This record gives sequence, structure tokens and C-alpha cells, in this order.
Amino acid sequence: MAIFVLFGMVIVLLMIGVPIAISLGLASIAFLYIYSDGSLVIIAQTLFDAFAGHYTLLAIPFFILASTFMSTGGVAQRIIRFAISSVAHHPGGLAIAGVFACMLFAALSGSSPATVVAIGTIVIAAMRQVGYTKEFAAGVICNAGTLGILIPPSIVMVVYAAAVDVSVGRMFLAGVFPGLIAGGMLIIGIVIAAKIYDLPSQPKESWTEWFQAASDAGWGLFLIIIILGGIYGGIFTPTEAAAVAAVYAFLIANFVYRDMGPLKAQNDAPAISLFKKPQALLTAWFHRDTKKALFEAGKLTIILLFIIANALILKHVLTEERIPQAITEAMLAAGFGPITFLIVVNLLLLIGGQFMEPSGLIVIVAPLVFPIAMELGIDPIHLGIIMVVNMEIGMITPPVGLNLFVTAGVAKMSVMNVVKAALPWCGIMFIFLILVTYVPVISTWLPTTMMGPEIITK
Amino acid sequence: MSTSAQPTSRLSRRIDDIEESLIAIILGLMTLVTFANVIARYVFNSNILWALETTVFLFAWLVLIGISYCVKKNANLGVDVLVVSLPPGIRRIVTLLAVLACLTFSVLLMIGSWAYWLPFFGERSWYETDDIPVPELLQLLAPALNEGERWSKLPRFIPYFALPLGMTLLTFRFLEVAWRVIRGEQDLLIASHEAEEMIETLGNDAAQPLKKGN
Repeated sequence: MAIFVLFGMVIVLLMIGVPIAISLGLASIAFLYIYSDGSLVIIAQTLFDAFAGHYTLLAIPFFILASTFMSTGGVAQRIIRFAISSVAHHPGGLAIAGVFACMLFAALSGSSPATVVAIGTIVIAAMRQVGYTKEFAAGVICNAGTLGILIPPSIVMVVYAAAVDVSVGRMFLAGVFPGLIAGGMLIIGIVIAAKIYDLPSQPKESWTEWFQAASDAGWGLFLIIIILGGIYGGIFTPTEAAAVAAVYAFLIANFVYRDMGPLKAQNDAPAISLFKKPQALLTAWFHRDTKKALFEAGKLTIILLFIIANALILKHVLTEERIPQAITEAMLAAGFGPITFLIVVNLLLLIGGQFMEPSGLIVIVAPLVFPIAMELGIDPIHLGIIMVVNMEIGMITPPVGLNLFVTAGVAKMSVMNVVKAALPWCGIMFIFLILVTYVPVISTWLPTTMMGPEIITK
Repeated sequence: MSTSAQPTSRLSRRIDDIEESLIAIILGLMTLVTFANVIARYVFNSNILWALETTVFLFAWLVLIGISYCVKKNANLGVDVLVVSLPPGIRRIVTLLAVLACLTFSVLLMIGSWAYWLPFFGERSWYETDDIPVPELLQLLAPALNEGERWSKLPRFIPYFALPLGMTLLTFRFLEVAWRVIRGEQDLLIASHEAEEMIETLGNDAAQPLKKGN
């Protein structure tokens, strides 16, 4: 009963337009006052501990920063050029290249909306130029952009790992195959659509162009090796990997691509050589482009982390009141098996994902379902991937689907039209969700092979 | 009706500037300290002892102080479907209720934060962080706060101050919002078109036409 009061309060507050973070925090405080002798001091302490006590979460600002440097620093453009020269000569080629570019960018950045913005701004316009409809272009990119949180690195995975204490490294590895399969399924969808609608193909690029594009994009794509190689080679923790990625992206953007900072080309002139302006080695660190990127990434971090911190207060309340245990007992008593349980989890997340920001939702739902899943013998890593895929779908379903809003802005369409455009592709994601939910080996094979079997501590 | 407050005077533009620089500087420091620690470990074969703890506390400062800026700029995420579909009169009342809820939250947390922090400043001022060195300037306060004893590490009341300061600023910003809603200058607490802004900030550089042979 108590749990309905708690979530009822959250929903009412959300509906009257209270920010998500404060809805979660206020409902928790009110609940503590009604049902137990809550202390404001403990709440304040929980808020502070969200940062001081969760080293894992520290990876989030760094991943956001790296992704900001890559978007403003021209990495996205070069990835798209590489993707186009690789696959665009097939029917529907530009759309396939769009998905491919989204997958590559997802392997550098941990956020879905960022992927849509970085890739979508360029690819949607390019697709329309060669004769795709606006709806087709927007639908494809809106969906492919969700791969941002499935293909490692991923902010949502970091949040899940912090919420239930599993290894971030394992989560990242577990996302590799599902990410490739989801991307592959979208590409197959495009190939079929290309047959039906006779979609255009681009002239085949020469091998020299492909080689140039590849080596140019290589500077950016090397980040994949830094991040994944660094984590699995035991060179640094995921948090450190994220910080290194941010510094690397900054260096590439300023000194190799020179699309931002003191060496940036002015009015059509070629970018300035470092030899002509060696002081740039110092000034780049304080350049206004750098400051702007830092500020924008900082602002995103603040908004996201304030939601997560308040979700952690709610989590604190839930565990304090032993609500997860009560739900576990109720569900087990009702004779739920793993399959029915997973359906319930899917439904819960799909509905929740339509109203909540993914990271906040994960923090709240993960501790609720995690103990039941362990009781039923479901792999914690597998559960995490199911949650991430549900969040992907949540991002492309109204009313809070963040990707919908971003795509609407990028493609200059109304949100309602993007919803319709995304729907057929959303169907593919649904099939993918069912696949991932009931075939755990897709998620668990790679981490188990590379890091040994999981030791589950209840 | 505009939902975000545009800086009206030179003073408020100046304050915006300070807040924005602060956000940028804190995030920059966090990144550099973490990066430097990796370099120290592999290149110089030693650890910067205070790196991790400092980064974690900077992280707390970034979010707790920064959130008041986000309230000022109406940047927080929320659900606006219901509110925007209401007729203006009712909408204003609903938004007023929402501000009231936000104020309740921030005032309660402000009380909790001060109550949490004051002991660290008072009777527990000897309680130090694990690894962060203490600046010499701060030792001047030792006679007044720490019974004349010098701290060997940074005392905890310094990093913990983010909590009371942040929540007080937050309350102040929500009071401002409440005032604007009452005067009819604002009718939404959340970013209704957060996406547009994201594109504006992230996308304007990425939106350059595709360059070949660069």
C-alpha cells in the first residue's frame, strides 16, 4: 500500500510540472514523514553521498564532456564521411550509412540524444538532398540514435552498475553484441525497405577516398580502443578511461581536426598550422570554445546528476522501508516464474520510460526488481541489458521520449510526425527487445568469456 | 510567453557569467586532476594521493551549486504534456502549486543541510578529509575553530559546505521563480523544449556541411 502512496505522489508532482528530480526528492521526504520518523539531516547526507559515495557515477561527467568535444570538434563529420564511403553505394545506402555512423558514434559517446544530434544534423539533411523523404530519414536516425546507450560506453549502464553494484566493465562488454545485433536489424530493415520503395544508392567512392576517410576518422575512432582497451587491459578504471577520453577528444578537436579552438579555420581559410601558432598549445586550454564545451557538458551533468541524486534518495527510502523485499515475497508467493517476471519488468520499464528520464528510472526500478531477479536466478548483467534496451524504446515513445524531441528539432518536424515516422522502426526495436529478454546468452557470452563467470552476491 | 528569464541588467549578465565560468572551471579541474592521476601512475610511477577525493568533492560542488543555475535558466527536465494543454488561468494556478512543491523541497533540504553541516563546522571541526592537503591560509582559522590546533588535512566542513550553500541558493532561485509566476512572467518550471536548446548548443558546429578531403 505504502508504495502506491509513494509513487502516486511522484506521478502527481510530475504531472503538475514539477521537475523530475524534485518530484522524486519531495515524494521521498514526504513519505518518510508520513510513514516513519525520517530526519532531514539523513536526507541531506544521502544527497551528498550520491556524489561522495559513488565513485562510479563520476564517469558520467567525463563521458558527457568527451562527447561534447567530439560533437563540436568535428569527429562526427569524419565518422559520417567514413560511413558513407564504406556502405553508401548499396540501395538505401545513405540510410545504412546513417545507422552505421550512429553505431560508431555510440561507441564513442554514452548518450542517445547526443548521438542523434551529432549524426542526425548532418545525415538527415544529406538524405533529404538525395531524395529520401523527411519521415524516412527522421525515423531511421531517431531509432539508430538510441544505440548510444546500448553500445559501450553508456551513461545508463554506468548508472545501473552504480545502483546495483555490478561491474561497469562487464556491463560495457555485455552491450557489444546486443548493440551490433540491433544495428544489424535496423540495417536489414532498411535493405528490405530499399527493395520495396526503390531507395536511391550513391555512386561508389574510390578506394583512395575510402582510405582517406578511414584514416581521417581513425583519430576519433581510436577512442574506442582507448576506452575499451584501457578498461579491459586493466590500465585504468572506467572513470579514468572516461577522463582520458575527454582529454584525448579535446586534443584531437583542437590540434588534429582543428574544428574548434585557436587553430580553427577563419572565413574559409585553411586551418592554422600549429607551427605557425605554437602558443595555441597553451591558449587552447583557455579558449572560449573550450570554456563553452566545458560549460555545456557541465550543465548537462548537473541536470542529469541532480535527477540521479534524488532518485538515490528515493532508493534510500525504498530500502529503508524494505519495499523491495515485500515485492519479492509477493511476487514469489504469486508463483511468478522467470518468464512472467521478465514480462512484468518489460512492461514496468516501458510505461515508466515514457514519463521518466532513463537514468533516474533505472536508479528507482533497479533496486526494486534486482532482488527478485536474483531470487529467480536471472543474471544481473542480463537484467541490466534488458533495462537498457527498454530505456532505448522509452526514448522513442511519447510523451517524454527524449530522442523524439531531439529528432524533431534536428529534422525540423513536429514531434507528432516524428512519432509516426519512428513507429515502424520502433517495431524492429520491439522484436529486438523480445530477443534480448529471452536469449540471455547474447548479453552474457562476451563478459563471461573475457572476464570469467560472474560471482553473484545477494 | 517566454519560459526562461533573459538577463535584463548588466549585473545579472555578470552573475550569469560567473556561474557559467564556475561550472566550466570545476568540470575542467575534475577532468584534469583525474587525467593527471593516470599520467602520474604510468609515467611517474606514483599516485596523486588526494586526486580521487578531491575529484569526488568537486563533483558534489558542481552539481549542488550548479543546480540553482539550472533552475534560474529553466533547464530542468520534466513532463509538460498536461500543463501546456491547460487553459492559461488554470495553468498559472497549477504552476504556482508546482513552485510551492519545489519550495517545500528546497526549504526542507536547506534546513537538513545546515543541520548536517553545522556540527562539522562547530564541535567536529577536527574531522578531516582522508588525503586532501590543507592550504596554509586556512590554518589562520585554526585558533578560532580548532582550539588552536593545526589541521594536517583539509577539514571536512569545507567540502561539505556545498550542501548548505547549494540548497540556500536553490531556495533563493525558487523564490525568484515563484515571484515571476505570480507576476505572470513565467508559466512553466521545466524546459519544455530542452531538445531545441541541446541542438543549439551541441549541433551548431556539427551542422556545418560535410567537408571532403579535409
